[in-house]
Amino acid sequence: MLPVIVVHGGAGHIPRERSEKSMSGVCYAARAGYSLLQGGASSMDAVVEAVIQMENDPHFNAGRGSVLNVKGDVEMDALVMDGKTLASGAVSAVRNIANPVQLARLVMDKTSHACLTAEGASKFARAVGIPEVSQESLITEYARMRWTKNLAPDANPVESQMGKMGTVGAVAVDREGNIACATSTGGMLNKMEGRVGDTPCIGSGGYADNQTGAVSTTGHGEAIMKVTLARLILFHMEQGQTVEAASDVGLAYMKSRVGGLGGVVTVDPQGGWGARFNS
Amino acid sequence: MSAVIVVHGGAWAIPDELAQASVDGVKSAACQGFSVLKGGGSALDAVEAAVRMMEDNTVFNAGHGATLNNNGDVELDAIIMDGKTLACGAVSSVKNIANPVSLARAVMDKTSHVMLTGSGANQFAESMGVETVPTDALVTEYERKEWEKHKTYVNGVMEDFNAQWAHDTVGAVALDCTGNVACATSTGGIRNKKIGRVGDSPVIGSGGYADNFSGAVSCTGHGESILKVTLARLIVSHIEQGKSVSDASQLSLQYMGERVHGAGGSIVVSPSGQWAATFTTERMAWAAAQQDELCGKNTSAT
Repeated sequence: MLPVIVVHGGAGHIPRERSEKSMSGVCYAARAGYSLLQGGASSMDAVVEAVIQMENDPHFNAGRGSVLNVKGDVEMDALVMDGKTLASGAVSAVRNIANPVQLARLVMDKTSHACLTAEGASKFARAVGIPEVSQESLITEYARMRWTKNLAPDANPVESQMGKMGTVGAVAVDREGNIACATSTGGMLNKMEGRVGDTPCIGSGGYADNQTGAVSTTGHGEAIMKVTLARLILFHMEQGQTVEAASDVGLAYMKSRVGGLGGVVTVDPQGGWGARFNS
Repeated sequence: MSAVIVVHGGAWAIPDELAQASVDGVKSAACQGFSVLKGGGSALDAVEAAVRMMEDNTVFNAGHGATLNNNGDVELDAIIMDGKTLACGAVSSVKNIANPVSLARAVMDKTSHVMLTGSGANQFAESMGVETVPTDALVTEYERKEWEKHKTYVNGVMEDFNAQWAHDTVGAVALDCTGNVACATSTGGIRNKKIGRVGDSPVIGSGGYADNFSGAVSCTGHGESILKVTLARLIVSHIEQGKSVSDASQLSLQYMGERVHGAGGSIVVSPSGQWAATFTTERMAWAAAQQDELCGKNTSAT
């Protein structure tokens, strides 16, 4: 039943004091995307809008509210993918912009490339008129507090981050049956400078194909990459598994093969959908 | 138990004047990697050695001999992956180093991350004591001349002919005596690419993938097309469904051509020692070396 949009704001054990805001944030984003779909907009417009809302929401690890790298800086990654043409756009390690998902979409629409990184991504942002924002405007007290805690030598950033600061994403099918996905993140808490996780890597942070469905992932980035989780789930769906079964099998495999935890939102061309996690 | 290495030096319309040097280059790299395997070395060590050799060879677009971006700079991408653990290391848009594949290996071995980009990757290189190489030392006269020539064309015209562009990314896949597979890929990207453009090479599942249960793949060709179909992972999924390495490669490249109109090539090795080198571009430089028994005779083919 179309149209449909599914949104996530991070997987893990979300502490009570954060869960209310996370819940209202994802609902708000889903509604924003859905009202576009109801109005006849494309799935790409819907997923980008939903993710923009969550990037603007300081409670998520994307755009404003992003985690800090080990040096205390914000470096963001994002991906969009169009299931009709398989076109995609991504940015990695981009700084000083409010909406990386928007820039990722511009990479897809305005260049012949699929991914721009670091200073090259910033240069492109300037060229297409995306305003530069101060790093301070992206950093929340919460992010700074978690960064400081994880500077301690015995800290475990991966564990520390699960559930508390989530990558955001969305998948949608529009009235025409076109499918899209979008994912955005500030990455891993206290990551090395220049660390790129799964989010901007096609097949890992997300994948969309009109013939099969779309997935957007969240969780332990390095583990998601090793199993190319988004693409893996869609392979299972190509073999005839349902959105839920395929998602669960993919997540179970990631846990058993590489010890990784995470979550996914998945949608199929008929509008069947799932939000599954093993964290 | 077989030990196999397959190496490629790019899938594109290799002009005649570069053909011999390309073939010589892949043969030497295959021999280099093979001597590692023969000595009981790991598939990871073998693919790294083979790719390093091609990075050092100026005829290929990787390390020395890399192509220039639209600002006249060299930005390098590489990936290496271990089929046993699925551990992986990658670098994108790294500058002024001779062997990005070795830096990718260091990311895998020395950090808890999979991928580093840009100045972060360079800082890591410095912390590892990797030597800084001036851009001029990495760029050939031939490349500089070609770059100057192409700068005068309007971008739109060039983009239509993706099959004609130089895609001489390099890569290797190997199977060692203990049954482990590994892959590695390295490139300077597309000539005149936008600053910071990242293609398929360093992206896991696109430029390469390795899994002891199914095989190792390294891809070359039109990067954006390879990304759209996650070519390496697609080939592996066909092998998982029971297809031969050859059929898996052909089906996947055919799909890439039909669905997104992209051309390219792949090299694949399976855990049982089957291998294939397949391409839908006009040419691909590749070489393979295989040993059927640990202490038996060697056969090599190109």
